Amino acid sequence: MFLTISRTFKEALKNFTRNGWLSIATVSILTMSLFVISVFFVVTLAVDDVLQNVQERVNISIYFKSDVSVENINAAKADLEKFKEIKSVEYVSKEQALESFKNSSIAKPIIMQALDEIGGNPLWPSLAVKTTDSRQYELISEYVKKSNFSTDVSSVNYAQNKENIDKLNKIIITIRKIGIVLGLLFTIISLLVTFNAIRITIYTHKNEVEIMRLVGASNSFIRLPFIFEGVIYGILSSVVSMILLVISIKLINIYLPSVTLVSNLMSIYSGNFWSLLGGQILLGSLLGIIGSLIAMRKYLKV
Amino acid sequence: MVVTKKNIETKERPQKASKPTIKFEGVCKIYKGNFPALEDINLTICEGEFVSVVGHSGSGKSTLLKLIYAEELPTSGEVYFNENLLNQISKRNLPFHRRNIGTIFQDFKLLPKKNVFENVAYALEVAGILDEEINENVPQILDIVGLGDKMHKYPHQLSGGEQQRVVIARALVHAPTLIIADEPTGNLDPRSSLEIVDLLMKINDLGTTVILASHDKDIVDKVNRRVLVLDNGRVVADQIKGKYKSV
Repeated sequence: MFLTISRTFKEALKNFTRNGWLSIATVSILTMSLFVISVFFVVTLAVDDVLQNVQERVNISIYFKSDVSVENINAAKADLEKFKEIKSVEYVSKEQALESFKNSSIAKPIIMQALDEIGGNPLWPSLAVKTTDSRQYELISEYVKKSNFSTDVSSVNYAQNKENIDKLNKIIITIRKIGIVLGLLFTIISLLVTFNAIRITIYTHKNEVEIMRLVGASNSFIRLPFIFEGVIYGILSSVVSMILLVISIKLINIYLPSVTLVSNLMSIYSGNFWSLLGGQILLGSLLGIIGSLIAMRKYLKV
Repeated sequence: MVVTKKNIETKERPQKASKPTIKFEGVCKIYKGNFPALEDINLTICEGEFVSVVGHSGSGKSTLLKLIYAEELPTSGEVYFNENLLNQISKRNLPFHRRNIGTIFQDFKLLPKKNVFENVAYALEVAGILDEEINENVPQILDIVGLGDKMHKYPHQLSGGEQQRVVIARALVHAPTLIIADEPTGNLDPRSSLEIVDLLMKINDLGTTVILASHDKDIVDKVNRRVLVLDNGRVVADQIKGKYKSV
């Protein structure tokens, strides 16, 4: 068994190198397909990453009037915590709000000065609500307006965040759609191309196959070289595609460093290196194997 | 399993009336949409025989041989090889059947990109024989056919007679019980042809059954053994010790 595999694999390698240009063309097309698919995969991951960040950072802020007591706010907090869509509710006191305002970038000296002039704390206490899903924000906001503590509430702030989140969500969905369509298209093209390459190999080996059968080669011995040839196409293409991917990310980082989306592409690439490579090898080999199986079914009668 | 020079030499000439290697019972073969290539063939070929099959081209010689190495299956009737029915041979068993038979053809069927050694070794490689065994047996077989010194030449560097001897070596290397030669001398000059026939007779003397299809009178007369004459898909003569007979 091991002997058969090593002998047929050697045969496949020979076929691959002997076909020269055809092999190069096949690997190029396969590489392109794998590259396109993995680019969309990486971009989706990157946008997903950004979305998650935004979702983590933004939440609904329910601002209470300055004179509302801590007890009432805590009651409202307990009320909100009953929703299972709500991940967490955090009480931010007036003092904490002022503290974080002072630390934030919008706090210019002139504003700080104005704050001092006023004396006291002009900020409101609030509840910072995080949900499991950004789509829940509107419902919660509605609930707050109708609740028994609505009179204590000064304002609910979510609209701005919602827009950003919706935009990102739409981008992800669009990228996925384009990725799936292009990926499918390239998958079909690569199948046809590997099918063609193996078909030509089978054709040039017609006499050899006849001789193999005459001297008593088993079916697997005749077929395995063609299957391995497909696997070689797949593995080589995925390696080339990985190299292309890292080069493109480097180029993007050099020429488009300002795009925030792009800054973390490299870390996504290296963080997912093995699953990217493994996935591509798997997909590439699968395409190669399916291509050669179709070719053998049509052109290799054993 | 594999023939070595030693065990070829020590094999004894089989006795007459040994068990049948091949048996045809009422065999007909009709190719799709054609007239019958073979009709009602009944014959038995025993172990150790040397049978010459003669007839014009189109008389059914090649079809008869193809039925034996199961390249074709009979339309009706039964073909037995070593008492096994070949009619329903499975794709799985076909390679094992082929390893019992060495085949030699007019057009040699050598692999052009492999040298002499590799061509002969190939027949063993496909059968899963270990490299050490291959390295030991192939040179011995090439010595037997007189090509021990041309192991590393490629087919195009050899004469027709030499190429055919490589084919014979490849056919022999499995230690088959039967050698089928379909017009082996068709592309050779008379001298090389006689050399090839001498070699086939030597192989037969060592105990291997040989079936030789030929339309060359000189060759068949030289062999001077059992002759089977085919005409229009029928056996018209079967002589135990015969000369080429025109029909």
